[in-house]
Amino acid sequence: MTAASTSRTQILDRIRSATKILPQSACAYADLPRSYVRKGAQSHLAQVELMIERLREYDADVIECKAQDLPATIAAQLASSGRHTFVAPEGLPAEWMAAGYDWKIDHGMENAEVELTEGVVTAAFAGVADSGTIVLHHSSSEGRRVISLLPDWHLCILRASQVVETLPEYFDLCKQAPDLATYISGPSATADIEMTRIKGVHGPRFLNVIVVRDDS
Amino acid sequence: MSQAVAGHPILDPVLAPTFPKAALPILRNAQLRKNVTHATDVIQAKRAKLVAEKTDWQELRSAAAEIRAHALENLGEYLEQFEARCTAAGGTVHWASDAAEARQIIVDLLREEKASEVIKIKTMTSAEIQLNPAIEAAGIHAYETDLAEIILQLGEDEPSHIVVPALHVNRSQVREIFARRMGIKDLSDDPQVLTGAARNYLRQKFLKVPTAISGANFLVAETGAVAVVESEGNGRMCLTLPRTMITLAGIDKVIPRFKDLEVMLQVLARSATGERMNPYTSLWTGVTPGDGPQRFHVVLLDNGRTSILAKPKERQTLRCIRCAACLNTCPVYRQTGGHAYGSVYAGPIGAILTPQLMHLEHAQTLPFASSLCAACYEVCPVKINIPEVLLELRAQVVDQERKQADRFLDLMYWGLRIANQIFVSAWRFRTAQWAGRIGLRFFTGKDGWIHWMPSLGARWTVSRDLRGLPSQTFRQWWAARAKEAK
Ligand code: SF4
Repeated sequence: MTAASTSRTQILDRIRSATKILPQSACAYADLPRSYVRKGAQSHLAQVELMIERLREYDADVIECKAQDLPATIAAQLASSGRHTFVAPEGLPAEWMAAGYDWKIDHGMENAEVELTEGVVTAAFAGVADSGTIVLHHSSSEGRRVISLLPDWHLCILRASQVVETLPEYFDLCKQAPDLATYISGPSATADIEMTRIKGVHGPRFLNVIVVRDDS
Repeated sequence: MSQAVAGHPILDPVLAPTFPKAALPILRNAQLRKNVTHATDVIQAKRAKLVAEKTDWQELRSAAAEIRAHALENLGEYLEQFEARCTAAGGTVHWASDAAEARQIIVDLLREEKASEVIKIKTMTSAEIQLNPAIEAAGIHAYETDLAEIILQLGEDEPSHIVVPALHVNRSQVREIFARRMGIKDLSDDPQVLTGAARNYLRQKFLKVPTAISGANFLVAETGAVAVVESEGNGRMCLTLPRTMITLAGIDKVIPRFKDLEVMLQVLARSATGERMNPYTSLWTGVTPGDGPQRFHVVLLDNGRTSILAKPKERQTLRCIRCAACLNTCPVYRQTGGHAYGSVYAGPIGAILTPQLMHLEHAQTLPFASSLCAACYEVCPVKINIPEVLLELRAQVVDQERKQADRFLDLMYWGLRIANQIFVSAWRFRTAQWAGRIGLRFFTGKDGWIHWMPSLGARWTVSRDLRGLPSQTFRQWWAARAKEAK
């Protein structure tokens, strides 16, 4: 036996004898107490309002638009960003990529190439209103992890119908656990120096969200 | 900074001075105490506000406590499940019995990668096994990437808090460290500017260094996924950009299912930083082709955890999710800061975890570094009854001392032996009381207070006065009262 496999056996043996000695006191998995709030109590309209409020508390730039105005709204956001080179996930809808900009479509770009872009536009998987969290599962329209990380400016398109109120409701949305997920609750921040909150340490310093009102 | 004179604080429980010794110079360091009080006040206020707004806080706590207890009771099963799933997803799982083995595994992996540099996300477990010195000894430079860890690494200091490791350093101290070590002239002490300096310092490292080391907040048995929560984005950088990722995790970090994160994430962020959710949470499963590191290793560390698991009262220690709420609220930690605990795990959780990880061979003074006020128990999101474990450990330490050959040299030993004899009969007690009352008269001042006593008594009077005895004892008063009633 190699040293590595002995340690494995030893640790598991120690665990087994430790957990055997004692009377079992914890519940079976199915009986774990889950009396915390699962479903939100607010109307969907109020949930979306809360989501927007939370995002703004995090200093994210939020604007709302109707579904048919989305391409125009994206174009306006790109224009006001003052930036020119944007990276787009492979599966980003073509009509979201406004003309007149330098779009880099991510077919597996090198990190260094992504670093040279100034911003990124992605879709999202869900929004959790209670904590103002944007969930990315990194599908083809949400993009690989690196493209929503290196560019300094992130424009995220969130449909109102993707918004849930509580975190457990998001977990209910997941038919299957994602292989990759990133939960974003506000832009990169630190409070390491005297508990003073500073925005923008390593992740994108600017988070912009367009909430598409496909619900009303 | 803790031993202000001696320089570098020692966070190795084997070498560290006892708690009372280490705490003394800190208590005289007004600046450090001010920094610690300020930081813990801020976090506590934020936490209190967000916990109050959560109507189901107690339900979440119960769920979190039970999920963790259940995971520990079925730890073997869940670890094997995690291993199988992670391996199926392209990861490699290693098992390390102790710190030395974990260090060896990681150094070997780095050598295989021919690494000369490695970037690190804040991990307390790596400090627990003293990983950085081992990496440096192998000729590989480790770059800490968490802002607080950079401050400590460049300032040749050690963490004093699990969540905000540099909370004992203030902005002008950070300015001085950065200016000196990054060679920046005219650096202001504005946190915004200092943070910017750290961003520039690390950006190229993130892009160029091909190997990273992380800790883990949770291992998900059901899926083989690893979760890391953070604020700055340095974690995402380390988890995404390198070619190879090595995650070091205690075996206690496992939770049964993906869905259990709906509880754990809610209680962790609120307890740790007083946020509804921390800015970034990352979840990954083995290797994802085309996205992130293409080689992924997990090192599962025992290092004393299985022996904690085997003890009924102590087992709950392993439920800990390292939120540090117990540190922020602890009246002892708030005075001494973290370095006095002589371990990377400070505060109430450190006082129970460190001695146990050391099999009670070191850090025996830590279980006594508490007032047993139970503030820690009240805030703990996984309901660890820390006072209960403290008492259990105190009893074990005293049992150990009972066996020591030099116990006869301790006056306290003789004092208690004599007391033992006195309490056996009412007559002896009355006589001793009478003698004691006469004796104490000599030390009672005109103001009715005792300001000084010799020998063992000095342990009290060195820092406090004692009221002189009243003219009547309780027993006399009781007897007189009974007589009157007749
Ligand atoms: S013991 Fe409880 S309060 Fe203290 S760090 Fe661990 S989980 Fe948090």
